[in-house]
Amino acid sequence: MQLLVQQIVEGLAAGAIYASLALALVLVHRATRIVNFAQGEMGLLCAYLAWQLIAWGVPLILALLLAAVFSFALGVVVFKCCIRPVLAASAETIVVICTGLFLGFEALCLLIWGPDTQAFPEVLPRFVWTIQGVRLTSSNVGMLIVLSVLAAGLATWFKFTRVGLGMRAAAAERDNSLLVGIDVPAMLAMGWGIAGVFGFVAAVLVAPHLLLSPTMMLSVIIYALAAATLGGWDSAPGAIVGGLIVGVAESLGASFIPFIGAELKLVVPFALITLALLIRPQGIFGVATRARV
Amino acid sequence: MIAAGKLAALGRRELGLASLLLWILCAILIPLILPGFLVYQISVALTYAIAILGLNLLLGCNGQISMAQGVFFAVGGYASAILVTHTSIPALATLPIDAVITGVLGFLVGIPALRLQGLQLAITTLGLAAIVPPLALKLDWITHGASGISLDKPDPPRWFPGNQDIWIYVLCVLGATICVVVMHRLLRGDAGRSFRAVRDNALIAAAHGIDLTKVRLAAFVTSACFAGFGGGLFALANGYVSPESFQVTLSLNFLVGAVVGGITSIQGAFIGALFVVFVPDWAGEVSPALAALIYAVCLVGLMLVARDGVVGIVRSLLARLTRTTIRERARALPANPNEL
Repeated sequence: MQLLVQQIVEGLAAGAIYASLALALVLVHRATRIVNFAQGEMGLLCAYLAWQLIAWGVPLILALLLAAVFSFALGVVVFKCCIRPVLAASAETIVVICTGLFLGFEALCLLIWGPDTQAFPEVLPRFVWTIQGVRLTSSNVGMLIVLSVLAAGLATWFKFTRVGLGMRAAAAERDNSLLVGIDVPAMLAMGWGIAGVFGFVAAVLVAPHLLLSPTMMLSVIIYALAAATLGGWDSAPGAIVGGLIVGVAESLGASFIPFIGAELKLVVPFALITLALLIRPQGIFGVATRARV
Repeated sequence: MIAAGKLAALGRRELGLASLLLWILCAILIPLILPGFLVYQISVALTYAIAILGLNLLLGCNGQISMAQGVFFAVGGYASAILVTHTSIPALATLPIDAVITGVLGFLVGIPALRLQGLQLAITTLGLAAIVPPLALKLDWITHGASGISLDKPDPPRWFPGNQDIWIYVLCVLGATICVVVMHRLLRGDAGRSFRAVRDNALIAAAHGIDLTKVRLAAFVTSACFAGFGGGLFALANGYVSPESFQVTLSLNFLVGAVVGGITSIQGAFIGALFVVFVPDWAGEVSPALAALIYAVCLVGLMLVARDGVVGIVRSLLARLTRTTIRERARALPANPNEL
């Protein structure tokens, strides 16, 4: 029982990371109907940048802020250069481009910082509470708090600000939004920018645990894809719930199903994706889409 | 109009004939001129080309994207290796068995994924590609884990003048030729027409009585068969399989090869295969990251600028060269780069 609760706590913390990356994926998907495979690697590049700034002696907070600004700019630039010209193209074209971006950003990190792993400073403070034998670390709690803050911020942004309303409109009705004077391309670019920041946050949360390396985000992006598929590609709450479910399922599967163990953890998100596609293809919170004619 | 169509057909036929001649010429000259290791590398490239052919069928002709071509390649490779080492089935007879096994696997994977559009397929297949290497490690009672399976490469028959490397090369050439012929027949027939119809406009295709799910599944299964066949051939040519040969990057490499060569062309699969075999070799001497960077630039750049890869560029160059002599062809037939 104790082990079960412990694994659920660990799973929720990991799930918070997947959820923040899944939020980024959902943001991009809502804005532009694109699944950005490269989201994790873009976040990775920014995390490397933050690490480099810290290594150069920049204070932690300032380095993170600078890297966050850079991640926003990166999202906007990638959208403007690589995605906007093919926005109307078929799904497979865009998947190929995103795969190219994925390979490119990973290679860029490898080229600049080499294949060795780097220790990333723990962003969250270190405490351990023990409640009835269950270890609760501050970094686990912190991840959930970061996720809540991100989610609340995003909800406020979309609900109560004019720009947020514009972004929702641009995502829902691209052509009609133009008619009422919304700068649709700018809104879509902003969606990509915000997603870039979310991806960066996910990378920073992951980095102290997995150590910074060019292939760090590969498994995380697969969990995040599973989370977004599970929750529904159009729903931000879905991404969060999906992320937490994937995290807990991974943690429980790895410790309670002997065949899976630590080596085959990746099977869990895959099984969840397959299950979701079979039973409820639009995801838990998703709305079934109708084919566009 | 009719004359123009005839001329266009003639142009295409000439291109096909030229490719055929080039193919025969290369097939004969390569083992005579090049050193042994290069011949081996080209054999491997040919097995990759078979998998890429399958991907072209799926991606270029049916408009579906799979990131799991490497998975079927791996399954084919392991199936051949296991059959050769554990049973008395002759090595070459394992290849059709590989194709059947991967076809069944493709059917099982395709059913959940194909009910939806390309995106979900891409995600599911990417997940599949990611779990295969750890799965191969885990199932060590049959795959021998990280140490892999060594198998005897097929020996040349007594009448064959060359050594074993050249015999394997000949087998790869023959295997690739069979696949090209199958692909060619498939695409020229009803199957190919329905594949393309589904790609171009699913609604209209459905209105013409094409069962979308059935056609998509058929394309997926066929492409999996190609990959399995290629993988089996790879195992025979390489004489060794291990999880190391079938990382996620293999599936991505196949995608790169397909895009670089041209996703709708048969010739493109071979250009793409040579690209993904030799470019990392050369680029790796400068930096291990360079190859991936070149891949990235090719994927993004070609998709933005030249969707039909090298073959597309060659075709448009040829069209430009011949435009002065057969001007009406350009006028009567709007350039349709998607047509095979």
